[in-house]
Amino acid sequence: MEKDSSVLDDYALSLAGSERPRVCFLPTASGDADHYVVRFYRRFSAGCEASHVSLFRRDQGTGGVEDNLATHLLEQDLIYVGGGNVVSMLGAWRAHGLDGILRKAWRRGIVLCGPSAGSLCWFDQALSAFHGAPRPIRGLGLLPYSNCVHYDAEPARREEYHRSVAEGMRGGFAVEDRVALHFSATKLARVVSSRVGAAAYRVELRPRGGVRETRLPAECLLERRPESPSRVLEEPPAAPPASAPAVGVAA
Amino acid sequence: MRRPVPSEQRLILALGGGGFTMEPANPLLDDFVLSLVPRSEPRILFLPTASGDTTAQINAFLDRFAERNCVHEHLSLFRLREADRSLREIVLEQDIIYAGGGSMRNLLAIWRAHGLDSLLVEAWRRGTVLAGLSAGAMCWFDAGITRSSGPPEPIAGLGLLEGSLTVHADGEPERLPVWLTHVRDGTLPGGWALDDGVALLFRGLRLERAVSSRPGAGAQRVDAIAGELVRHRLPVALLGEEPRAGLAGDDDAVRELRRVRLLRQGFSGRRE
Repeated sequence: MEKDSSVLDDYALSLAGSERPRVCFLPTASGDADHYVVRFYRRFSAGCEASHVSLFRRDQGTGGVEDNLATHLLEQDLIYVGGGNVVSMLGAWRAHGLDGILRKAWRRGIVLCGPSAGSLCWFDQALSAFHGAPRPIRGLGLLPYSNCVHYDAEPARREEYHRSVAEGMRGGFAVEDRVALHFSATKLARVVSSRVGAAAYRVELRPRGGVRETRLPAECLLERRPESPSRVLEEPPAAPPASAPAVGVAA
Repeated sequence: MRRPVPSEQRLILALGGGGFTMEPANPLLDDFVLSLVPRSEPRILFLPTASGDTTAQINAFLDRFAERNCVHEHLSLFRLREADRSLREIVLEQDIIYAGGGSMRNLLAIWRAHGLDSLLVEAWRRGTVLAGLSAGAMCWFDAGITRSSGPPEPIAGLGLLEGSLTVHADGEPERLPVWLTHVRDGTLPGGWALDDGVALLFRGLRLERAVSSRPGAGAQRVDAIAGELVRHRLPVALLGEEPRAGLAGDDDAVRELRRVRLLRQGFSGRRE
């Protein structure tokens, strides 16, 4: 949900494989901030069946959506997780059993996506720098890698991530702002971006020690828009039958 | 940083409802919280975690405490970037920690995810007054009744205080029968039911007194004995009427100041 561009959101929608996808927003990491929920509906309600789940307002029973979290979430085509504090979010999710529901959703082929905290959460490990020194945290572990976001926006991040990997965090993917990693099952399918010249990075431990970083240039979705506006929509990478793509967006 | 204090210096004030988020025009309970600390300018920390750190709760806290004799701050676990000290430093330097209402399930899960639960226990052992309403009151007990997932249901708390607590006994009447059922069948330990506006003050593990900001608001102790519920109404002292509202021995000037503020804010809940 970048303020000035919807191409990453459109890309995520294109993966949902439905004319009018059912999209559910989880704003947990923001503490279910009202302004974020409003932004979601502004962006998604025109072309989608949009809904959201607030884990802080379940006592108010908004429209029956939250009566049964599992039923509602497992009916979606796309689950969009908002940014914020990943530690708070994972704590609240586990308390409501959302970790298990999201795992099940992924296995059933529901597309999972989100920026920042909404990206970190899908990985086995992640570098969280929300407060104080960046530190490794455990995510849901759908993707057997580590993840680091805002790689270009916060200069200390590269050094911290490299150090973490050198000290035993598993290897993974670092992502600049406005770049999204698209995973098909647990394999990286594409790196896409809403900005020219942006990239993600594969960061892993060398067999004999030291950290290797490989630049993965992102395909800019803006550039191709004018000449082939619907190419992405027409050619989503084939989803494997057993499990679905999860998209980690760092925006 | 403080040292551990003997049990009788550990205070917890549990509000069944009321205080700055629910009674914007009635500061009696909040002034009572401040009066529990024998310092002219107590340090008070607000934890709005259970609400998802809503600005509404934080603003209500500021409206209430910004102009009182205290050093106030709030800790938002969803906006930790704003915090310039470690959680440990922030929590352990307070005289009062005040937990807001909301989802008790989220409150405990998020505190645990950040390690705040053990810091709060440590703060209590070192003599920081723990206060809170609703979810922020039940969390200190063995158990409470939450609506975090919709219908009221039992939930385990941090267990600093023995027994269970249910809140809003008058304001949200659907909680009470659920609590009574669980106390009767033994799935919850006996405990207290509080109306909005009533607070229980615990010294160590012992209930010292019940106070209230509203005439007519009540509290009861309920236990199951041989499968039957035994209910006792507790005596509740209406605040604002007593010669000495607090325990810390305020001097006359402070009392007078509080009285004047009360009148200015148009509090109209006095008992005839």
